[in-house]
Parts: sequence; structure tokens; C-alpha cells
Amino acid sequence: MDTFLQVTAYGLLQGGLLALVAVGFSLVWGIMNIVNLSHGAFVILGAYIAWEIQGWLGLDPFLGMFISAAVLFCVGYIFQRFLINLIVNGPVFITLLLTFGINMILIQGMNLFFTADFRSIQTSYGSNSFEVGNIRIPLVRLLAFLLAIVITFALVAFVKHTRTGISIMATGMDRGAARLMGIRARHVYALTFGISAALAGMAGTMIATIETFDPSKAGKFTLMAFVVAVLGGLGNMYGALVGGLLMGLVQGWAGQYLSGTWVNAIAFLVLIIVLVFRPNGLVGKAFYAARVEI
Amino acid sequence: MSTVPILETRGLGRRFGALDAVSDVSFSVNQGEILGVIGPNGAGKSTFINLVTGHIKPTSGQVLIDGKDMTGQAPWNIARAGVARTFQIVKPFNGMTVRQNIAVGIMYESHGTNRLSVALEQAEAILEEVGLGGSGDRMPGELSTADIRRLEFAKALATKPRLLLLDEVMAGLRPTEIEPSLELIRKLKARGTTVIVVEHVMKAIVAVSDRVLVLAQGKVLMQGGPREVLADPRVIEVYLGHRYAKRQKGNA
Amino acid sequence: MSTLKALKSVNGFKRTLLEGLLVLVVVAGAIFFKSTLPGGELRAVSTIFMFIALSQAWNIIGGFTGYASFGQVVFFGMGGYFTAAVMLHLHFSFWLALPLSGLFGAVFAVIIGQPLLKLKGHYFAIATLGVAEGMREVVINLPDITGGGAGISVPIAGTFAKTQYLGDGGFYLLFLALALFALAVGTVVSRNKFGYGLRAIHQNEDAAAAVGINTVRSKVMAYSLSAFITGMVGASYVFQQVTIFPERLFDVEITVLMIMMVVIGGSGTVVGPLLGALGLQFISEYLREHFTNMHTFILGGIIILAVILIPQGLVNYIREGRRTKNYSLLANIRRYRL
Repeated sequence: MDTFLQVTAYGLLQGGLLALVAVGFSLVWGIMNIVNLSHGAFVILGAYIAWEIQGWLGLDPFLGMFISAAVLFCVGYIFQRFLINLIVNGPVFITLLLTFGINMILIQGMNLFFTADFRSIQTSYGSNSFEVGNIRIPLVRLLAFLLAIVITFALVAFVKHTRTGISIMATGMDRGAARLMGIRARHVYALTFGISAALAGMAGTMIATIETFDPSKAGKFTLMAFVVAVLGGLGNMYGALVGGLLMGLVQGWAGQYLSGTWVNAIAFLVLIIVLVFRPNGLVGKAFYAARVEI
Repeated sequence: MSTVPILETRGLGRRFGALDAVSDVSFSVNQGEILGVIGPNGAGKSTFINLVTGHIKPTSGQVLIDGKDMTGQAPWNIARAGVARTFQIVKPFNGMTVRQNIAVGIMYESHGTNRLSVALEQAEAILEEVGLGGSGDRMPGELSTADIRRLEFAKALATKPRLLLLDEVMAGLRPTEIEPSLELIRKLKARGTTVIVVEHVMKAIVAVSDRVLVLAQGKVLMQGGPREVLADPRVIEVYLGHRYAKRQKGNA
Repeated sequence: MSTLKALKSVNGFKRTLLEGLLVLVVVAGAIFFKSTLPGGELRAVSTIFMFIALSQAWNIIGGFTGYASFGQVVFFGMGGYFTAAVMLHLHFSFWLALPLSGLFGAVFAVIIGQPLLKLKGHYFAIATLGVAEGMREVVINLPDITGGGAGISVPIAGTFAKTQYLGDGGFYLLFLALALFALAVGTVVSRNKFGYGLRAIHQNEDAAAAVGINTVRSKVMAYSLSAFITGMVGASYVFQQVTIFPERLFDVEITVLMIMMVVIGGSGTVVGPLLGALGLQFISEYLREHFTNMHTFILGGIIILAVILIPQGLVNYIREGRRTKNYSLLANIRRYRL
């Protein structure tokens, strides 16, 4: 029973982090109908930046993560504004190819710049943990989990109560109408992508404190983002949270009770089942069912 | 001439969540008739067409074509049964020439040729008929509103339909453009094709319909001859509102 | 120029005859070419033929029908593993395994196509990707049949080797034959009723259904046909490589290469993917030789540039340019721009 609770606790903690990885991806897909195949690369890039910052400035990753987020916001903004915006109105595979190309240069760029060695971010409290009953909860994991939840709620608040946030939602629901109201769609798209990259970077930083990272892990995070985003419903941030937690639990349990890489196979199976039977996700209805594209 | 109506619906209905877009629509059309269908916006006219042609599945009721139950059949099966339609928002095959657009329908008609070259030749005749004579090599994107409506018409004719449903083909056309369309409908009737004309343009309805069906809020309001229907106070009321109708009654 | 115009205006039977002649000349040339190449180069050209076949196959479902399968490699992998398994465990000859692998792929496509082809756009692309990645995991977890993560080897020596190893020259011819087969299928589809039906589905699925096209059946057939070809290519690849691993046989990069060749060359045409395959393979090989460290980086850059500057692909760009007399790249960029 203790093992089960331990695994469940770890699963939830991991799930919160997965949710943070996925929420930006889900936002971009839901608002702009862009599947960003380079999302995982942004996650890893965020980890590298935070790692570098710790090296230069000695800054704790949970603080350095904000710098990482800022840098990635700029990178994401530029990519969207000057690259992806150029093909937004094109067919599906054009967008997929473009983001795949971006993925290639980001990953190879990181390989060349940082080398492919495994790294991780060490903290003085990295090995601390505390006990709840018979369950061991590592401090960094708990911090990461809490931060992920807080950030997700902050994002929802941003989107509902700030002018910028509302303009993002409006552009996602009806781009033509939003533009007629004076919203600059190109800028809003770039903002959204920038936010997505920033969140990915924050997630990456926190992941780096928990496990090792290297450029080849990027694909795994992109995949996780897919599954969680689809589970939770595209553009639905609470959904990403629920999806992330669910995915974390499934991964935890599967890792414990099933052999080897069946875990991955299950992730894909979940993805396909959700896509075929409930493409709007488990949580909530079709977020942007009526899309008018101008 | 067969006594079985070419199209009959019994209690046809479609519900979307809490909204009954179409409910309890029962009527029939005989071969060779031209039936006009009118009703204010939101009356369910397009939903009604989609239900008959299989693009939407009904939640209640039946659709019978030539007496055979075709309720819920896929659109291609309905097409093969001899029913064709135009779309209110035109749906051309954008990457093909006008001639190729029509050739596709010719090839996929049940008894049509399988050979592209033959179909392209046969398309020429249909092009002439709808008035797109010299435009066979143009792309749909280059066509004017009137011409793209003609293309939509032509695509429907390509499948040699016995029943043709026209979804607001006159919308946005100038008077000089409406007359050729009416001519075409009359020619089709002369050939024995049954036509259901869903329209807002009343002049067209009056000019060409044998009978008129009025839909309002998803239900059949009344049926009758064109002039009779248009003069009916209930019909005036659904178009122009309760107060206007009352005022009219007050004035009468 | 006027000879070209004269050639283009020839229609019908005469045209088919001319084209057939052209193909014969090219094939004869290719066969002659083979004897002039050293082993390594033979392999390189064989890879080009392989990608010609793969890109033609993808073009059927992705280009004509417009359903961009991002998991096409699954048929490559499953065809390959089928061949490996039956040659190893059941001692089949390769020549028997080859068509069966194609059929295996085709049947799998029919099964997964039914639910998946109901999805549109991104959903379809991601779902097929999920299937591909998932099948790789399944293969890894069935080591008794597939050798699992440790790989599997086709018997080429000893009592169980029913078919003699073809050697570089032999595989050159095999992949050439597959490429020609794929090109033939692509050409036939692009000109017949089925192909026009697929284009109709791509350009307006509702209208296609309304003129009597059974969209479900057509889509599944297109998917299945592309899977058949892809499966046979996978089978041949496995025989050539002898020892294979799941990561390689289900590598998403293979799908991406296929797609790139079609997109850059011109999706929905037959010549486009052919040019794309030739061009991209040359570029890829060149980069691999001269910029070994950075070649993925540069390739990524090329993909980005190509997709932004010529999203409709080279062949379509040229055809449209000739029709509208407008070759402006700037106009090209504006076409899909927000």
C-alpha cells in the first residue's frame, strides 16, 4: 500500500510539471491552430539557460527560471513574428514542417553549443525531502509541483482579467473580428508563442533540478505536451492541468506495475483513443468550435 | 408517370442540443414538380436540405426517395439515387479548372463514363447549358459571383440528377443574372427533372414554382400555390413580424 | 521551346507511347549507369530510388488526398519487420515476403484508416504519428517475434537463407524497380477517375460527397495503396541492411524526409516528389560529407527556407508561374502570411 501511495504521490508531483510543459503548447494549438513540434526543444533550452545562469551568477534555479523565461519569451516572440506568422494560413503540414525545421536547428544548435553531455542543475537542497506518513516527498519536486500549479492559475487569471490576455483569447476565437476591433493579430500571435516558450523554459528549468537533461530529451517533452494537451482539450489551461496530473499518474503507475517501455506505448494509446473518440479533450467542450479565419 | 413521390419526408427532424433546427417536417414532391421553399433566416431551410441529402443525419423521422427509405444514408448514396444539390456557400474544387470540376461529377455518376477524357468532353455540353461556355479552362478562384454560382449549378447537373435541390442560388445576383437561372430551371422541368428551389428572392419563387412550402422555426407553416402563400397573413407575420401583421390586419 | 510545345500538345495514345519510350530510355540509362558506379555510390543511388518510391507513396495520401500522414513510417517499419520475421522464423524466401509485406501494410492501413481518416488536419497528422510511435513500442515489447530492442537479423547465410543476398548491384535494381512501380502507380492515379476523386476530396470534401464520391472508401483505398508501396520498400530495406533495430525502422525522420521531398518538389504532382527526392538526397549526402557536424542544422535551415519561400513546391510554383506570368517569391510569401 505504501508503495502505491508513494508512486501515486510521485505521479502527481510529476504530473504538475507535465502540466506546465503542456499548457503553453496547448495554448498555441488552441489559439493559433499551430502544432509546435519544437516545443520540447524550448523546454530543454530553458534548462540550459538556467544552468548557464547558475554557472555565471550562482543564481538558484528557482530564481534563474525567471530569467530563462524572459530570454525564451523573446526567442519565441521572434520566431513567431518573423517566421511562423509567414505560413500561418497555409495547410497543416506546412506548419508542421516549419516547426520541425525549427526543432532541428534548435536541437542541433544546443548539441553544438552545449555538447550532448547529460547535465543537471544542482542545488544545496537538492537532496532534501520530508516525510508525510511513510511517503517520501523530495523538496525540489514539491516546489516544482507547487510552482507549476501557481503558474497555471496565474496564466488563467492573466488570460481572463488583463487586456492583453483577453485580446489573446479573442484572437483565438475569431481572428477576423478581433482584427476589426483593432487587435494586432500578428503581435498577439507572437505574444502567445512567446508566453508558450517562456512557460516551457520554466518547466525545463524545474525539470533540470529533478533529472538530467540533454538535447535528445526534447522529443519526449514534445510528445508529452501533445498527449496532455489533447487530453485536456486544446487551449484549455485547466484541462492541461488535469491532463498533466492524469498523465503523471498513469506514467507513475505504469512504470511501477508494468514492464519497460510499455509506458510509452500506453501514452500513445491514450493519445489515439482521445483523438478518435473525444477530440475536444476530457475536460470541457469544444473550446473554439466556430473558427472563422480571416 | 409514377405515382410514388420522388421525395417524401415523414416527421423529419434534427435536434442540436436544445435546439430543434428542424422538427416534424412532412411533405412530398412529385416527379416533374418545381417546389419552392421559403422561410425567414433561421427557419431551418439549409438544415432541411442537408437532412435530405445525407450531409446531416436526422434525429427523428424518415426520408424516402422514390418510396425507398434513405434516411441517414451517406451523401454519396443519395447522390447515386439521383439527387443532386448546390451549396449555399459555394464549394468548388479550387485546384481544378471549371471543366474538371464538372468532369468529376460526370465520372462518379452511377452510369457515367470512367474515362477522364470522355468526361471532359461531356462537360462542355453542361458548360454551355449553364452559360459558362468559354470558361472551361478557368480556375474557380477567377470567376465572378454569377459565374461561380453557375459552376455550382453545373456541378449539380453533372450527376444527371432526377431531383435537384437548389440552395439559394439566386442570392446576390442582379436581375439580369436571375432570368437565365430561371430559364434553366424551366428547361430542367421540361426535361422531367424535379427541382426544389430554396430561395429568399420572392420574384424567382413566384416565377417558377408549382407549389411553395413555407418553413418557420424548423416547422412547416403552410403549403400552397405561390401567390396564395405569399398573401397569407401567417407568412407575412413570420417575415415581417407580429406587429406589422397586426397593423396590416388593423388596416384591412 | 517550340519542340517542347509540340510534344506537350500530343494527346491520348500517342502521348502514352512517347512517355513509355521516355521511361524505357531512362531505365536503360539507369541500368547502364549501374555498371559505372563503385559499391558505395551504388548504395547512395539505391537510397535515392528508395526515397523516390517512398515519396510517391506518401503523395497518394498526403498530396492528392490532402491527408498529411505524419506516421507514414509505420508501414515502412511494419513491412520491414514482417519480412524479417517471416524470413527468420518461417524461412520464407524474400521474394515471397516482399509482396506479403506490402499486403501486411495495406491491411493494417485499412484497419487503422477507418477511425483515423475521420480526423481532419492536425488531428489526423498527430494520430498517425501516435500510431507510428506506438507500433515501435509494440515491436520493442515483442522480442520473441521481433527481437525487441536488440534488433533482428535476416538470415543471409547458412541453411535458413532461402534467398541469396542481392549485393549492391542487385539492390540497386530492386530499389529501381520499386521506384518505377511507385512512379507508375502515381502516374496512373494522377490521371484516372480515382485520382480525381482524391483531389476532389482534398479540395472540398463535402462537395465530393455530394457528387457521389464515397469519401470513406476512397480515403481508405488511398491510404492502403500508399501503405502497400511503403511496406514493400521497408521489406527491401530490411533485406539490404540485414540487421535492423526498431528506432531506425520507425524513425520519424524518415516520414519527415518523405514529406519534405513531396512538399518541396510539389505536392499533388508526380514529377514534384521525384525532383524533391533527387534534390533532397543530393543535398543531404553533400551536407553529410562536407559538414558532418552541422548537417542537421543546415538541413533544418533549408527546410525552413523552402517552406517559407516555396510552400506549394517547385513544380506547382513553376506551373502557376507559367499560367499567371507571375514568379514573384514575395507574392509567394504573402500567400500564407498572417
